[in-house]
Amino acid sequence: MKKSLFVASAVIIGGLFYGVFTMTHPFGNPGKAVMDDHFIDRALKDRSAQNIVTSLVFDYRGFDTLGEAAVLFTAVCSIGALFRAGRKRS
Amino acid sequence: MKPMSLIVITLTRVFSWFMIVFGAMVIMNGHHTPGGGFQGGAVVATFICFLLAAYGGKKFFTWVKAPIYSGLETIGLLVFFFLACLGLPNSFTYNFIAVAHPGEVLGGWLPSCGTISLMNIAVGFEVIGALSLTVIEMYEGTHMNESYFGGECGHDR
Amino acid sequence: MNFFHSVLLFMILSCAALALWFHNLLHCIIAMAAFSLLLALEFYLLQAPDVAIAEAAIGAGLSTAIAIVALGACRKKTVNKEEQL
Repeated sequence: MKKSLFVASAVIIGGLFYGVFTMTHPFGNPGKAVMDDHFIDRALKDRSAQNIVTSLVFDYRGFDTLGEAAVLFTAVCSIGALFRAGRKRS
Repeated sequence: MKPMSLIVITLTRVFSWFMIVFGAMVIMNGHHTPGGGFQGGAVVATFICFLLAAYGGKKFFTWVKAPIYSGLETIGLLVFFFLACLGLPNSFTYNFIAVAHPGEVLGGWLPSCGTISLMNIAVGFEVIGALSLTVIEMYEGTHMNESYFGGECGHDR
Repeated sequence: MNFFHSVLLFMILSCAALALWFHNLLHCIIAMAAFSLLLALEFYLLQAPDVAIAEAAIGAGLSTAIAIVALGACRKKTVNKEEQL
């Protein structure tokens, strides 16, 4: 029973992977990408950074990066609060 | 946690310094090669973790102090926030020191990147501090009984 | 190129299966590191070098070291093979 269930789930998940792998966009031409073209055209002129990804992450979408840094800070704070609770008091 | 075998220690001693140089290069060249603050910081934090995993806790904590990394994280986040606030007359995270092409409104004195490079360095310091501090805290929290039982309690090899 | 992608994805899947298959936990950690490294190679082939660097650093380096530290914190206890399955 358990083994047949395992085989059935493996076949289903394998079929899903195969479908995803075959039915995606052909590599190199995604669908409509108006925003991408706008950034690719404008990023070097606007922000004068060669790496468009970095100029997106740190300049156009800088507020998101600030949020990401704050999330990392909060995660480290919570890890410190969790693991310092079990330490012996000296 | 005992030190690992001689093979691991020798490999760490030879190759891990390339890792820290590569991480610094990824942080510094974040504005014109792939990568950036987060990726380079993660590479440097991997170096710290390999030091811990190869040399064991006793030797590791003579080199690495946790408050340094805590301060590094805080200073990185504050510098990032300060740089973002400096462009506030126009907008938040406005690139106020990039040199614009003729005919554009942007004006400044730092060619080729503006605040992007400085923010890369700040976020790199923050990620180095955060990811190293995660591992240091977890190690100190899980290996707290070692001094009581007089040695190692894990199944290290 | 398509054939190479297929081979790489098959290797990723087999590494993930090996990480579940092994009995020794250290071997599972090594299999997960190989999984992350192959995934980073796949990201690089899909022209996302940013994600590839992050995946290679965090997946293959940082989480492997964290898992080894966590394995060192576990107590030693031998378990029979029937119980382990």
